[in-house]
Amino acid sequence: MRSYVLQRLAQFLIVFLAVTFGVMVLLRLGLDAPGDPARSMLGGFASQDLIDATNARYHLTSNYFVQYFHWLKGLLVDQDLGYSASNSMAVSTMIGRRIVTTLLLGFYAIGSGLLLAVPLAVAQAYRRDRWFDKSSSFVTFIFVSVPSIVIAVFLKWLFVDTFSLFPRIADKVYPWQDPWEHAVNFALPTLTLALPAAAVFSRLLRGELVLTLQSDFIGLARAKGMSPRRILWRHALRNSAFTCLTSVGVQLGVVLGGAIIAETFFDLDGMGLLLITAVLTNDLFTVQSITALLVITVVVANLAIDLLYSAIDPRVRLASALQ
Amino acid sequence: MTLGQLTPTSVEQAAAASAAAEAVPADPRRQRIPPGPAFGIVFLAVLVLLAVLADVLPFVREATDKVVVDDTTMTRYRLGPGTTALFGTDALGTDVFAKCLYGARTTLLVGVGATAIGLAFGGALGLLAGYLRGLVDRAVGILVDGMLAMPGIVLAIVMIVKLDVIKEDFGFLGWLTRRWQITITLGILATAPLARIVRAQTMSLREREFVLAARSIGATTRRVLGREILPNLAPTMITVSCTGLGILIAAEAALAFLGLSVEVPTPTWGKLIDQNRNNLDVGWWATIFPCVLLFLTVLSFNLVGDWLAKRFDIKRAAI
Amino acid sequence: MNAEPMLVVDGLRTHFRTPRGVVRAVDGVDLRVERGQSVGIVGESGSGKTVLSRSVMGILTGPEVVRTGSVRFEGVELVGRPVKQLRQLWGRELAMVFQDPMGSLNPLMRIGDQVAEPLRVHLGMGAATAAAGAVRLLTDVRIPHPEQRLRQYPHELSGGMRQRVMIAIALACGPKVLFADEPTTALDVTVQAQILELIGEQRRERNMAVVLVTHDLGVVARHTDHIVVMYAGQVVEQAPTPTLFASMRHRYTEALMRSIPALDAPSHSRLQAIPGRPPDLVNPPAGCRFAPRCAHASDRCLVEPPPLLDAGEPGHRFACWHPVELTAGLRGRGTP
Repeated sequence: MRSYVLQRLAQFLIVFLAVTFGVMVLLRLGLDAPGDPARSMLGGFASQDLIDATNARYHLTSNYFVQYFHWLKGLLVDQDLGYSASNSMAVSTMIGRRIVTTLLLGFYAIGSGLLLAVPLAVAQAYRRDRWFDKSSSFVTFIFVSVPSIVIAVFLKWLFVDTFSLFPRIADKVYPWQDPWEHAVNFALPTLTLALPAAAVFSRLLRGELVLTLQSDFIGLARAKGMSPRRILWRHALRNSAFTCLTSVGVQLGVVLGGAIIAETFFDLDGMGLLLITAVLTNDLFTVQSITALLVITVVVANLAIDLLYSAIDPRVRLASALQ
Repeated sequence: MTLGQLTPTSVEQAAAASAAAEAVPADPRRQRIPPGPAFGIVFLAVLVLLAVLADVLPFVREATDKVVVDDTTMTRYRLGPGTTALFGTDALGTDVFAKCLYGARTTLLVGVGATAIGLAFGGALGLLAGYLRGLVDRAVGILVDGMLAMPGIVLAIVMIVKLDVIKEDFGFLGWLTRRWQITITLGILATAPLARIVRAQTMSLREREFVLAARSIGATTRRVLGREILPNLAPTMITVSCTGLGILIAAEAALAFLGLSVEVPTPTWGKLIDQNRNNLDVGWWATIFPCVLLFLTVLSFNLVGDWLAKRFDIKRAAI
Repeated sequence: MNAEPMLVVDGLRTHFRTPRGVVRAVDGVDLRVERGQSVGIVGESGSGKTVLSRSVMGILTGPEVVRTGSVRFEGVELVGRPVKQLRQLWGRELAMVFQDPMGSLNPLMRIGDQVAEPLRVHLGMGAATAAAGAVRLLTDVRIPHPEQRLRQYPHELSGGMRQRVMIAIALACGPKVLFADEPTTALDVTVQAQILELIGEQRRERNMAVVLVTHDLGVVARHTDHIVVMYAGQVVEQAPTPTLFASMRHRYTEALMRSIPALDAPSHSRLQAIPGRPPDLVNPPAGCRFAPRCAHASDRCLVEPPPLLDAGEPGHRFACWHPVELTAGLRGRGTP
């Protein structure tokens, strides 16, 4: 078990390093002339002194590997993520405020997606091929196909313009400041991301549930006199969770990407919005840092899911122990 | 016999072996297409037709023409959907329907282009990784994993902006208009998932008898790849491309929405949606119709892709 | 002295509604099981024997299942009872062991939890008590190192051990009737004997009735008191075990017996298979259902279904117009 964890950690590390390095290089492309990175960061009016100072501080004139090393060091050791000239503040400050928003959004989206998907999938599997199953499968197919902007537009149209249920511009409110306001602000962006995710989850879960319910051990549980509820929770759902679980890992990446759109659309001040502006204004460090954070989140989540897998399914544990 | 298998069918099969012979499974070619994919195919066909013939069709205005009724230009969403302008007019007074049609062209071209690039690179990488295994596989694996670890949108944004910068630096890249930047970026993004799929398929095909047979008579790797493996990858690639097209088209719209759309005069659906989304109360048609078109297009590709997947599965199972 | 046996099945019919028609899997079966008795139900695939056992317990589900007739357990009628009440009996008074132990055990649940489950749910035991109970049960079924097994998973056990676990699960609440549905078919021959011995042993110790469903005559020969032979959803012959083997009357039973290869037959003797196939249960033949495959069938057999009649010896009944002639010592007894 331990070697399995170490293996996965090593993989995670490699991917993280590769991606962040790649992004850094990508960002630096086209800015090869000495002092250029600093200049484009600081804008056209910065003084030469400032440019030189910035270059020195962040080693922007050295080769890529040196730059990367220093950036990494800053990230892990000094907690210095760099400086955002266009916003005149340290990147860590800027991100700090917004990271909560985006992470909350992602968490809400996946959470509500699952909350919607599980009862739906259960209802479908137990009423297999009947009218409810067929019609709701049609609906989930639609939601799997809908692009997020379309959902966002319709939600906005429905709730904001037609019924004025939700505000046009969402002030950033933390849940501990004003729960109701917070819920209202996050509702539509969450829904935009949660609906397609729920559709994906429910389709996968239904498929597996249907298969599991046909298994012998379900029949035995029934012959043991176990109640349908117990059979559902203890036997059926547990054994059907796998593809859904894997999907959560994938959907997290999708949702974080979609968060960018949802935040832009509903004017929710999170990392997504920040990222767009940062890229367009050549704000190197911001982009790098956000990218790094996103990668970490996705990879850690997937790692956690992998570990969860082996915790639930003993056969996986054995297989990896034998490797 | 499992409880679940104890359906009437199993019982009657066990007992009715002497009963009339079961119907032979229908030849897939003669099977009727179910309503979903049928709608998808029809919709896409009509869309493509209209988009291609937009210049020629009499009832389609130019995308930049302003609609004039009784000497008044229909600016500011004055005209709703109706006989004069099928989908109404937008803020500038241009015909939304026309914009949608011309936008379809761009959208579809970008989508197809990106898919082609993805297939080419992703396919190649997957093929090599799956067939050669070993170090090649590992290297490609890291590359693909890395690309998949990033939310695509982020990478896309970064790449497009960078391509812009590169274009300025290198003169010979003058052709790299926004349209191409988007196409190439999306294509590169599509490489990772495609590479994965092709790799998995290649690995399983590699062990099949006909490949072993070819190798045993001394066929070179190139020959095996080209004549044995590639043709058998075709069904999967077609199916994946179909669904992938839908995804890429949605991605293009998302990018347009974020401000990274094609050059100014050319319309795309994403652009239309972005430009008009804040005026839903004044002129909903300018946003909603492109939305609906976008949705139906992606849906159609998904329906057809789904159906193709099932069909090819049956055929393969029959082998 | 109880007037009625513990389990009484009267005219049980189990039909399945399918697109092709109504499949009459069990078509009029009577059965009596006394306390502590071992009854074997023998038949080929499609004879309805498995459907019978599950139908008696009542665990078949679905709107397509139509169950008529009577099943009385300790005087209480089970047919028509709501499932909620039947669930009180399942796993508790009536228990079942399935054929395939690998598929029948939850692969993601520890052995201990699966064995303890009926103890906790039916008998309300706490975790520790149930665990101790599980150890006892595993010991009963002769699994070595039971405490260690508690924490193991099904795939870590051999086929024979898994089947023992299944038996342990079935025995957990001390059932009065154990339905063993082809309990050894999926096992190696050497293990088969052990499992059957185990079942027999438990039966004697607990004074528990066992209904052993199998296609294997060898299995019923040594482990049952009474045998019921089924064909095409009906009972064609039933008798106390020694009686059946000594003086079978139905032609199908005879054919079954003869189809078993004998070790002392001359080499290269032909195997005596029964020609033809079982009938379509949607449209079973009008007369005797075995008639189309029977070497001794007459016109009457094809038209008139033979009734199940006493054969003269106690407990022996069969349904055949042209039964096997009795050997000299018993000639004259048992007329159709």
